[in-house]
Amino acid sequence: MATEIVKVTNLTAGFTPEQEVLKRVSFTANEGEVTVILGASGCGKTTLLKHLIRLYEPRTGSIRIFDQEITGMDEPEFNTLLRKIGVLFQNGALLNSVSVEENVAIPLEQHTKLSVDLIKRLVHVKLRLVELEHALHLLPSELSGGMRKRAALARAIALDPPLLFCDEPSAGLDPTTTAALDYLMLKLRDELGMTMVIVTHVVPSILRIADKAIFMDKGQVLFSGTLEECRSTGIEKIDRFFAEG
Amino acid sequence: MIIVQLIHNTLSIEGPLVIAEVPRALEEIERRLQAFKGKELDVDLSGVERIDSAGVSLLDEVTVRAAHRSITLRIRHVPKHAREALKIFSSRGRMEPTGPKRDTFFVRLGEGVVNMGRASLDFLYLIADTAYFSIVGLVNKRGLRKGEFVNQSVLIGMNALPIVALISFLIGFILALQSAAQLRQFGAAIYVADLIGIAMTREMGPIMTAIVVSGRSGSAIASEIATMVVTEENDALKSMALHPVRYVLVPKIYAITVTMPLLTTLSVIIGILGAMVISITYLGIGPKPFFEELRTVLYLRDVLTGLAKSFIFAWIIALVGAYYGFRVRGGSEGVGRVTTASVVASIFWVILADSLMGLIFYFGQGVEY
Ligand SMILES: Nc1ncnc2c1ncn2[C@@H]1O[C@H](COP(=O)(O)OP(=O)(O)O)[C@@H](O)[C@H]1O
Ligand SMILES: [Mg+2]
Repeated sequence: MATEIVKVTNLTAGFTPEQEVLKRVSFTANEGEVTVILGASGCGKTTLLKHLIRLYEPRTGSIRIFDQEITGMDEPEFNTLLRKIGVLFQNGALLNSVSVEENVAIPLEQHTKLSVDLIKRLVHVKLRLVELEHALHLLPSELSGGMRKRAALARAIALDPPLLFCDEPSAGLDPTTTAALDYLMLKLRDELGMTMVIVTHVVPSILRIADKAIFMDKGQVLFSGTLEECRSTGIEKIDRFFAEG
Repeated sequence: MIIVQLIHNTLSIEGPLVIAEVPRALEEIERRLQAFKGKELDVDLSGVERIDSAGVSLLDEVTVRAAHRSITLRIRHVPKHAREALKIFSSRGRMEPTGPKRDTFFVRLGEGVVNMGRASLDFLYLIADTAYFSIVGLVNKRGLRKGEFVNQSVLIGMNALPIVALISFLIGFILALQSAAQLRQFGAAIYVADLIGIAMTREMGPIMTAIVVSGRSGSAIASEIATMVVTEENDALKSMALHPVRYVLVPKIYAITVTMPLLTTLSVIIGILGAMVISITYLGIGPKPFFEELRTVLYLRDVLTGLAKSFIFAWIIALVGAYYGFRVRGGSEGVGRVTTASVVASIFWVILADSLMGLIFYFGQGVEY
């Protein structure tokens, strides 16, 4: 049986007492697989992802990452865990006041004792991986949307995390850029054995990268299983989602 | 032109039931509804030539109003062309709000009080975090933004030099001018030096500097942090196991702690120079007697009071700015809102703190002025 890297059980969460954004959500993400979370916008995908890195406190339920319960874990311990997790936010979330190079260097400077030269070299490697070595000295505001996502991805994988979370990496990108980003993700999975949880609703992208799919609807998991199973559930909402792209 | 007619218990509507006609039609119908309380009323639409969404809404509205007066309303003879419009535009049975309701004034008022308690608590947490990380940061540079201390010192301190200097000069100048005119009447012109010396050192220097720095740097801190929150940069920092207070705010705290006393000192000196210009040109008192007089009244205690204030003001400005920045809600329009609010709040707290400290220093040392 595959190793479960992320295991969420009966997660319930909301921002106000009367509102439930996530209702008893359960899913797992296996080692070395791309698990895609899909569903209409507003159904709680980002909220779910942010719970996985404890940006929000869940109301009830359990979240296990690398076989450790993260709810209630103390701060230093969780920070150690965070170093094994890369996160790519919806809009990149690069620090706007510093260059691409410095952005990618942040995790390396803060969490390793590498020398300045070595950090420079590593940053270069990561930027070459996302084909941004020419943008080293540009500010985030000088990048296009696709470049920003790629720079953010370089930062997310700076520490070679075994687990990567991505929130809509290809939203707002053109098909060519989307495809390039997808192949990059697959390369990371295949060559580094990275486990990935990716939120997206771009159908061609899902078809390219997903091993497993979680379909969410209004805060609930409507379906979870392999991509093939997901495409033949007979559930109207899911069929419509794939048909309409 | 719409015509509303009442024949027995049938209200017949004729003409185009479109947006331009709806207000008058509603008035006419409303006027006639009065008489039918508890009775039955038919509405005949056979004469309606055209109907648009406003027309349909009118019918819905009339139905609701009739129901409120226990009138049994029946809509009859809907022309073929109007049926489709009714189907598409009718909001009957769909008006029940589905999303969460906006609260009424009193609920919000009550929530406001509760929120105020929570807000003070949040502010205390922020102070605690900042104090903790500021002290830790002195020995452990990890987790602080690189190069940010120098960067912020230049932004907060150096760049504020010209404006602080100019304002302080004008304040000293104008205070001296106003008091000189009074003092001269008593032949006490030389006391301008005492007056301005004390006022600038203990009050005007720290306050004017704080107000300028609030406007320039307090707002900058608020908007920078707020922008980071709305663009998820803040979340990204946390995801990299970096504490936003430590990474973003602490270097600013260091910078403002170092630069504020310097700016304040500059402000005091230039303010006194401004006063000296008046004393030379208007009162005919040269620099030498002016400074000798100043030396007799200005004690170290006054200078320390001014400096103590400048530290307190510096922390108020940085903390209030950061507090507003972190509690931003909504998107980019939220950033503008908290930025403005932060400036108003920090000037208010600076002045309040100044008054409190004035009282403490005054009573704390026994009345001896
Ligand atoms: N910080 C927040 N405060 C209050 N409500 C929120 C917040 N973030 C998201 N929501 C609400 O939670 C729901 C799910 O949002 P989100 O997870 O961003 O959706 P998705 O990423 O699937 O498009 C939405 O109804 C949204 O209004
Ligand atoms: Mg989202």
